[in-house]
Amino acid sequence: MRRPLLFAAALALMLAPLAASAAGEPSAGPLPHGGNYLIDRDATLASAAVDVWFRAPGAGYDNDSPGISRLAATAAAATTLESGRSLVSLVRSLGGRLTINVYPDLVGVSASVPASAARRVVAAMSAAYFAPAIDEDAFKIADTDVAVLSAQEHYSSDDLLHDALFAQLFAAGPAHYPPIPADVTDVKDITLAQLNAFAKRAFRSSNATFTLAGNVDASLLGAITDGTPGPAESPIGSTVAGTPADRTITAAVSGEGLAWSGPPISDERAATAMDFIADYLFRDQTGLVSKEIDPTSDQYVNGQFITLHDPGVMLVTIGGSKPDAIEAQVLAAIAKLEQPLDPASFAAAREAFLYHLASDTQTPIEQADNLGWYYAEGNGNYAPSQNESTYWKTARSLDPQFVASVVKKYLAHPVVVHLITATSKESAS
Amino acid sequence: MKFILAALAAFVLLAAAPSVTPPAGSVPVVTRNGGVTMITQQDSAAPLLHVVYVVRAGLDRQSLSQNGVAALTAQTIVLTPVNGVPLEDAIAGAGGSIAFTIDPTDVRFEIESLPEDANRVLALARTALAAPAFDAATVRAARSKLIARIAENQQIAFQVGLDMLSSTLATSANAGLPELGLPAALAQLGPDDVRSFYGTYYRRGGSYVSAAGRIDALAAGTLEQFGNTLAEGSTSPVSVKLPKLEGASRQLVAERDIAAPWLIAQYPAPSVASKDFGPMLVLATFMQRTLSDMADVPGVVSPTYASRAVGTLYQYENPEPNLVLYVNGGIGNPNRSFSTALSIASILASTKLEGSIDQFKAMASGDFISSTNTLEARAWLAVVYDEAGQQPDYLSRTLDAIAQTTPADLQRVAREYLTNPTIALVLPREDS
Repeated sequence: MRRPLLFAAALALMLAPLAASAAGEPSAGPLPHGGNYLIDRDATLASAAVDVWFRAPGAGYDNDSPGISRLAATAAAATTLESGRSLVSLVRSLGGRLTINVYPDLVGVSASVPASAARRVVAAMSAAYFAPAIDEDAFKIADTDVAVLSAQEHYSSDDLLHDALFAQLFAAGPAHYPPIPADVTDVKDITLAQLNAFAKRAFRSSNATFTLAGNVDASLLGAITDGTPGPAESPIGSTVAGTPADRTITAAVSGEGLAWSGPPISDERAATAMDFIADYLFRDQTGLVSKEIDPTSDQYVNGQFITLHDPGVMLVTIGGSKPDAIEAQVLAAIAKLEQPLDPASFAAAREAFLYHLASDTQTPIEQADNLGWYYAEGNGNYAPSQNESTYWKTARSLDPQFVASVVKKYLAHPVVVHLITATSKESAS
Repeated sequence: MKFILAALAAFVLLAAAPSVTPPAGSVPVVTRNGGVTMITQQDSAAPLLHVVYVVRAGLDRQSLSQNGVAALTAQTIVLTPVNGVPLEDAIAGAGGSIAFTIDPTDVRFEIESLPEDANRVLALARTALAAPAFDAATVRAARSKLIARIAENQQIAFQVGLDMLSSTLATSANAGLPELGLPAALAQLGPDDVRSFYGTYYRRGGSYVSAAGRIDALAAGTLEQFGNTLAEGSTSPVSVKLPKLEGASRQLVAERDIAAPWLIAQYPAPSVASKDFGPMLVLATFMQRTLSDMADVPGVVSPTYASRAVGTLYQYENPEPNLVLYVNGGIGNPNRSFSTALSIASILASTKLEGSIDQFKAMASGDFISSTNTLEARAWLAVVYDEAGQQPDYLSRTLDAIAQTTPADLQRVAREYLTNPTIALVLPREDS
C-alpha cells in the first residue's frame, strides 16, 4: 500500500501546478484505471490530438532485443480489437493519421483526428495498449513495418548519424541501441511470446500518460475501460561513456555528426540555454550557421538539443559534399559563443527563440507530443508548449553570461562520427 | 487494374462513419471599411497572433516585360531598413516573422508574432509597408535574395512542374508567370520599376487584413490602423492576351538537376463557391488514399517514403482551381503508378458508383480539418472563402459540402473535370 500511496501523492504534487480548467490551460489528473493524463485544450479547433506515452526501453528490459519496443508498439496498433478493427485502421477510417514514435527510452503513439472522433480513438488506443493481445497477423505486419523503416534509414544520413552518435556517447543502456535496428535479423529473433510479454509490461496503464490537445476535454477519458492501477516506470537513463571515441562508418550515404553530452532535464536553466544555442546557431533559415550555407548547394546542417532525463544531448548533423568545411563553421560558431553576446544581440536572439518555441508548438499534435515527451522524461511542468510552464519563465531569464558559461561547460569536446560511402573510401585510399 | 477495381468496390463495402461537426464559436467575423475587408478569428488558447495582409499587387498587375516586379517589390519591403535593420530581422528580433507569397492576383504578407510582441511587430511591418526603401542597395539586396530563392525552387521538381502547369491555366498570360520572376528579367528591373509598381498597385482597395489567434493582445484599433497603411484607391489587372497553345499534345517537359523524374497531371477543378467543391474534395481524398496504398508496401502501419512519393493536391484557393496528381519517379516504376493514377480518374468518370461513400467523406473531412490547424491556414482560408463570395466560415461550409456529397455527385464531378489532364514531366538532365 505504501508505494502506490506515495506514488499518488508524488503524482499529485507533480501535476498540481498544471491543474487548471480555463481554455488553453492544461489540466491533469489520473486515468480511470492507472496512469495519468495531461490536457491542452483549444475549443475553437475542429481537430484533436490523442497521444499515449510510455517509458519503455527500446531494446527490451535487459537490452538484448534491439527493436522490440518498435515492434511491439506497431503490432499493438495493428492488432484487431473487439470492435473488429485495429487502432490504425480506425484512425485512418476517421480521416486521421496515426504516428508511432519510438525512442531509446520512450514510446509515443499519436493520433490526429477530427474532434468528434476523439472519444472513439481514446477507447481504441487504450484497448490496443492497455490490454495488448498481439496475434500472428499483427506480428507479421509489425515485422514488415520495421523492415521497411530499417531499409529507409540506410539512406538517411541524419538517422544513421543520430543512432551512431548515441551509440558512441552512451556505453550502455537503451540509448546505446537504435530504436530501429540497422540489421533486421536482430528483430527476426524476437518471438511472439516475447513481444506480448514486453507489451504487457511496457504498455500497462500505470506506465502510461495520455496527452490530449485541441478540442478535447477530460470527459473523453471516460472511454477508457482497460487498465490496472499500479506504479509507473521511473524515467529510464543510460550510462554515459567515459571518453567517447570518434568513429568512421561505411554507409550508403555520406555525412558527419557531432554530439555533446548536456545537462539533464532537471537542470532547467542549462537545458533551456542549450535549446537557445541550437536555435541561435542551427535553426533552418534563421540560424547563424544555417544562414551561411548556400541554399542552392548540397550542403546542410541540422542541430538540436535533445532534452532527456539525464543527460540531454546536443546533436549536429551535416550533409553534402564538403562536411569538413561545415564542421569547421560549426565549431567556430560554438567557440565564439564562449564569449557572451552583446546585450542587444542577445535580447533579439532570445525573443526570436521564444517566438520559434511558440511557432513550433501551435498545432494540437505538436502540443500533445510536447507534453508527452517532457512528462515521460520526468519534468511535465517544463513542457515548452505551455507558455505558463517553467520553461518560458526560464527562457525569459536567460542572459548572455549564463549562455556562455553553458557553452564552456558542455560544448567543449564533441564526439564525431563520419559516414563515408564505399566510393569515397576507395577514392581516399 | 485489379487494384483499381478493388478500390472502387470499397465504395460498396464501407460502413457508415460518424458525422463531423465544427466547433461552436469559431466563425470568423467580417467587417468592411473603405475598400479594406477585415476578418478576425479570436483564439484565446493560441500561442501566437497571425495576420495575413492581402494587397491586389500580384502577378496579374505585371506586364510581361516586368516579370518579377511583384516579387521584387514585396521582397524590397521585407528588406526595408527599420530602426537600422532589415524589416525581417527587426521583426525576428521583436519576436515574430514576416514572409510573402505572390499569387496570380495578390501579394500576401504573412506576419506572425508572440501575443506580447504583436503591437510592436505590426508597427514595424506598417512602417516598411507605408514607406519602403527604394534605394539601389535595398533593391539590389532584394534581387539577390529572390534569385537565390528561384535557384532553390528550381531544384524542387514538384514546384517546377506546378509552375509550368499554372501557366497553362491562367486566363491572362501575366497571371501565369513564375511567382518570383526569372533571373534574367529581374536583372532588368531597378529601383524606379519597384517604386512605380508600389505607387500604382499598393492600394487599399480590395485588400484584406485577416487575423487569427491572440487578437486580444492588440491595442484597440490596431488592425483597423494596419488596414489603412496604404494609400486609398483601387487598381485593375493588366490584361495580357496570348494565343492559346495549339496542338494535340498536352504535355510539358522540363529538365532539371534532379535525381529522378516527376510526373504531374493537372485537371481543372471547381472553386470553393461551386456546388462541386464538396464532391471534388471527396474525390481528391479517394485518389490520394488509393495512390498511397498502391505505392506502399501492403499492410504497413507507418508512413513510408513510397506512400509520400505519390499523391494529389487540390488547389482550390487558386483563381483557376485545379487538381494535381503527382508521382515522384524515385520510387519503383513511376510510369506504372502514373498510368494507374490516370486510369483511376478515368474509371471514376465512367463507372457507376454504388453503395456508401461515408468513409471517404469522413476521410475528406479529416483531411480538411487537419489542414486548418495552423493560424496561418485559418487566416488565409477565411480570405479565400470571402474572395469567392462565400461566408468565411470555411469550416462549417466545407464540412457541410462534404456531408451532402452523394455517389452520383462524385461521378458527375469526375466526368466533368477528370477527363483531359495537362501533363508535366520534370526529368533529370541527360548529363546529370
